[in-house]
Amino acid sequence: MRLGRALALLALPVAAAAQSLRDDRLAERLPAAAIPAVDSLVQQARAERLPTEPLVQKALEGGAKRVAAERIVVAVQRSLTQLRDARALLARAGDAPPATAAEVTGVSAALKRGVPAPVVEQVVAALPSQPRGSALHAVADLVTHGFQPDSSAALILEAARDGLRGERLLDVSTAALHEVQRGHTRAEALALVRARLPDVPAAPKPARASVVRARRPSEPPHEP
Amino acid sequence: MSPVDPRFHQALDGDIAREGVPPEVRRAMERLDAAAALLAVVPTGASVEARVMAEIRRPVPSRARRLVRWLATPHAIRLRVRPAWSLALAAVAALLTLLSEGDIEPELGGQEGIAQFVGRFPGARSVHVVGSFNDWRAGTIPLEDRDHDGVWRGAVVLPVGAYEYMFVVDGERWVPDHLADRSVDDDFGRENSIVIVRAAGR
Repeated sequence: MRLGRALALLALPVAAAAQSLRDDRLAERLPAAAIPAVDSLVQQARAERLPTEPLVQKALEGGAKRVAAERIVVAVQRSLTQLRDARALLARAGDAPPATAAEVTGVSAALKRGVPAPVVEQVVAALPSQPRGSALHAVADLVTHGFQPDSSAALILEAARDGLRGERLLDVSTAALHEVQRGHTRAEALALVRARLPDVPAAPKPARASVVRARRPSEPPHEP
Repeated sequence: MSPVDPRFHQALDGDIAREGVPPEVRRAMERLDAAAALLAVVPTGASVEARVMAEIRRPVPSRARRLVRWLATPHAIRLRVRPAWSLALAAVAALLTLLSEGDIEPELGGQEGIAQFVGRFPGARSVHVVGSFNDWRAGTIPLEDRDHDGVWRGAVVLPVGAYEYMFVVDGERWVPDHLADRSVDDDFGRENSIVIVRAAGR
């Protein structure tokens, strides 16, 4: 008990420091009129134990694109709603709380990309013991290219049953998209890839010239 | 002048009887006789010729032994330096070192990968990629058009994950990546592109 209190006391300054950092990013980059509302939405998300980073990123994006303050607030509000919906979906699909930030963000991204909620729920429920981010992206890749959501989810889940995990599931959707580019209908493409599972070509690695040139993002320049 | 007793010579020559010389001279004469007797004995070993030939026929040392002997033997090296050539050589070595440093691949962590960006922007003065990986901050990730063909390229080391991004052309024009496989509504009336960074070590 004492140890818990001590740890909590030790964590307070760290949390305060993180809070002030977050505030700094918003204060530097947002129109002044948007800051109180955005900050309030971020605090709400934190109080609800939802990930706050997607909200901050949406606000920073709006600031960078020089969007009007009201539109930034609306977009951040919409993002908060999507995060709440995502967590509710995870609970419906049988995930034991608390949902991780990555899971909530992944489900939210899939919903935003147009995957119907029941299909997302189906994928989440079918993969209870592994990260679903790549599986959801793979389904979304197919849906955004005109594939039927149910058929798309069925293909990706079959690939998972055949032992493909994580990023390899993205290769499955890529293989189906390539079949369409070769002239097959979407139904034919799904059938062709399904017949080949789990043998789908892996994504090519970056060329050495690119690897040599790759650099980490530099420190931001000082703004006047 | 001679330190030898003259009676020694006389006795050797037979001019006087050996019994007539003092005992110390007689002992010296006996030692001399013994030495003469030794010289008179014919050597029983190999002849000089045989010994010389044996020395000549001694087996040649192996290459390894000669190498070891050469390595163990001190050698004098004479180095003549021409300053102009030495400086030129040093300059070339420094240049090669600098150039090769640019070819060193970045060290990637287990949960890092490389995102590649390509866009065609003929006539653009600058192109940057801006997204959720750099807090949507312009100016941190410039693309390059090395051969001035209007195709701008860049590669960035990023943690594994999915990111939204756009290109910023000439510092003011926001453009989606038309070559990207994925995109999503940005809630501000445009579309962000999506890049999924995979672990490089997979």
